Amino acid sequence: MEYRVEEKRSIIDKLRILGDGAKYDVACTSSGVSRQGDGIHMGNTVSAGLCHSFSSDGRCISLLKILFTNECIYNCKYCFNRSSNDIERTSFTPEEVCYLTMEFYKRNYIEGLFLSSGILYNPNYTMELIYETVYKLRKEYGFFGYIHLKAIPGADAGIIERAGLLADRMSINLELPTSEGLRNLAPNKSRQTILKPMRMIQQGIKENKNEIMLYRHAPKFVPAGQSTQIIIGATPETDFQLVSVAESLYKKFELKRVFYSAFVNVNQDKDLPSTLGGPPLLREHRLYQADWLMRFYHFQAEELLSPKKPYFNMLLDPKCDWAVRHLDLFPIEINKADYETLLRIPGVGVKSALRICQARKMAPLRFEDLKKIGVVLKRALYFITCSGKMMYPTKIEEDYIIRNLLHEKERLPEPKGAYRQLSLFDERKEETACQGGGG
Amino acid sequence: MEGEKIWVCEDSQEGIFTGIYDAWASGHKKEECVIQVGEINNYRLFAQYFSVKTDEEKARRVANTIIRRMGERAYRHISSAISSADQEKGNAVFHTLIIGFAMKEGAKAMTYLSNPYVGKVFALSRQVYNEVNHFMEFLRFRQLKIGILFAKIHPKNDILTHITPHFADRLPMEDFIIYDSMREKMALHPKGKRWSIVHDKNFMIEKTKEESKSEEEIQELFRSFCKTIAVKERENKELQRQMLPLRFRDNMPEFEEQKGTIH
Repeated sequence: MEYRVEEKRSIIDKLRILGDGAKYDVACTSSGVSRQGDGIHMGNTVSAGLCHSFSSDGRCISLLKILFTNECIYNCKYCFNRSSNDIERTSFTPEEVCYLTMEFYKRNYIEGLFLSSGILYNPNYTMELIYETVYKLRKEYGFFGYIHLKAIPGADAGIIERAGLLADRMSINLELPTSEGLRNLAPNKSRQTILKPMRMIQQGIKENKNEIMLYRHAPKFVPAGQSTQIIIGATPETDFQLVSVAESLYKKFELKRVFYSAFVNVNQDKDLPSTLGGPPLLREHRLYQADWLMRFYHFQAEELLSPKKPYFNMLLDPKCDWAVRHLDLFPIEINKADYETLLRIPGVGVKSALRICQARKMAPLRFEDLKKIGVVLKRALYFITCSGKMMYPTKIEEDYIIRNLLHEKERLPEPKGAYRQLSLFDERKEETACQGGGG
Repeated sequence: MEGEKIWVCEDSQEGIFTGIYDAWASGHKKEECVIQVGEINNYRLFAQYFSVKTDEEKARRVANTIIRRMGERAYRHISSAISSADQEKGNAVFHTLIIGFAMKEGAKAMTYLSNPYVGKVFALSRQVYNEVNHFMEFLRFRQLKIGILFAKIHPKNDILTHITPHFADRLPMEDFIIYDSMREKMALHPKGKRWSIVHDKNFMIEKTKEESKSEEEIQELFRSFCKTIAVKERENKELQRQMLPLRFRDNMPEFEEQKGTIH
């Protein structure tokens, strides 16, 4: 089989083709690691991540997100770059990738590089190309900014390890949440080949931590951790299955992030569901909200959903939905409740809960103080008391509260409204504001 | 009853800190002291006015006292709040310091958010922090013919001294200039050296028109990338506008009109 055709393409054509091929990967965060400049090389990293631009779909542009090549020996049904699609094919050279990264970074267009790739010849060959490129970028061009690499499923542990010592974050996309879905839509991949490198990276991170304790200057292996992506709506899993998969990835594989990508039907394959209403953006939105609840608000997957209630409420965000189903726990007294209890109140974020705990030591808090602290009172007021009083006389009754909460319009992605992924939070930056499919 | 004592100081950290020093040293009841920044547009009856002459030594002593008594974190909040465009900032800072210096653990003063002065300093600092963060993201350099990287910004608050350390750390071996066109001052960073702030009312912005040979090509590459990366099926310009407000877009090549792509 011959995949490479001699071609002389301009760099702008390549960037168009290989940027297009990478755009369905949603992980675009530049977060998770804080590294100061060394006074000589170009680059540093900011742990909260930075979003340098936003494309017309409202997703953030943080990294130069490209494929090294869009040639691919695999034929996954959902993928635009699958081998049976007749599309323009091209590859970068390592120099071209370095040139683009350096020139963009210098002008403050990007935080760094996100390098993914189709599979050229075989997984090892491809991973080696990725490694070579990043090696050049780090060692020859002296780039100290953020690098996110895809680990190619099926590549040898040795190459992944070498690459991991140069990258800040690595990811392997789970793509479809169950092995059955994978079998149907991605016949060349198996859950095994995906989970194996994920485990390898996890162990690499652990061993590296021990090494760093022993030798302070040991090179860091994937310091910003690993992430993965799940496509939503290409296969028939329920929300409950999805959050349970995500939960176990966080617990068992210690992932930093799970990204959810609303399925965009680019191939119209007969095995794929029809998506007449467009990609399931609202569902993706609810999953991100639930994901934040699990990571920062101490919620368990089974608290949010169950086999009996396998889907999220499309009208209410998962936290409000949980709260109205547990009215017996409310109202909560702001001046007494502990931090974890405060976190459960709709309208109270991680930071505002922390500020409440600090500020109430000085003086009992009143409703107007909460506003300053950043609590979203129009949502919180049904669930709290300040020094024993509620803000307005309200009924603590499910229907009444739901009616009022719905009256205060939440910003939603469908049918056509603006939405912010972080409506749960009081401040724009938690890790980075734009995981909303923007990564 | 005696009236208010109003110290009128220059709109800068040194000016405000000097005013605070003088007010403190004056021996008047601190509750009656007011720190006013900039021009007086409305004289108040029975109030006594003092004009403050900025003094670096006094300012330095106030800064040191804040760090010693209230800690680095509180100092950063206060320093950010002072960069704000809000005119009440000086007084809010002064009364926050009165609270902080009276406390055993001054570092905790910044958590006293139910106090109006502390609340104000906190809110201003948060505003400034947000703007600093925005410019860390949305500032764009162009490479000039003479090799220098040049960025023009027009921030609401006086943030130059807050954003420059970030870029100096990131681009240590580049010559760069960040020019605040609102305040007609700039941060100069010569490669390998320390940066400094220069006021220049006669700065010739025309001189920055000549760009390096590859500048246009690289801007075009980035424009094309930003266009490509958008997923058509998810188009949402309203969200884009919310995340990247129009006021930042003037100096961003991906939003330049005639070649217009991302719109």
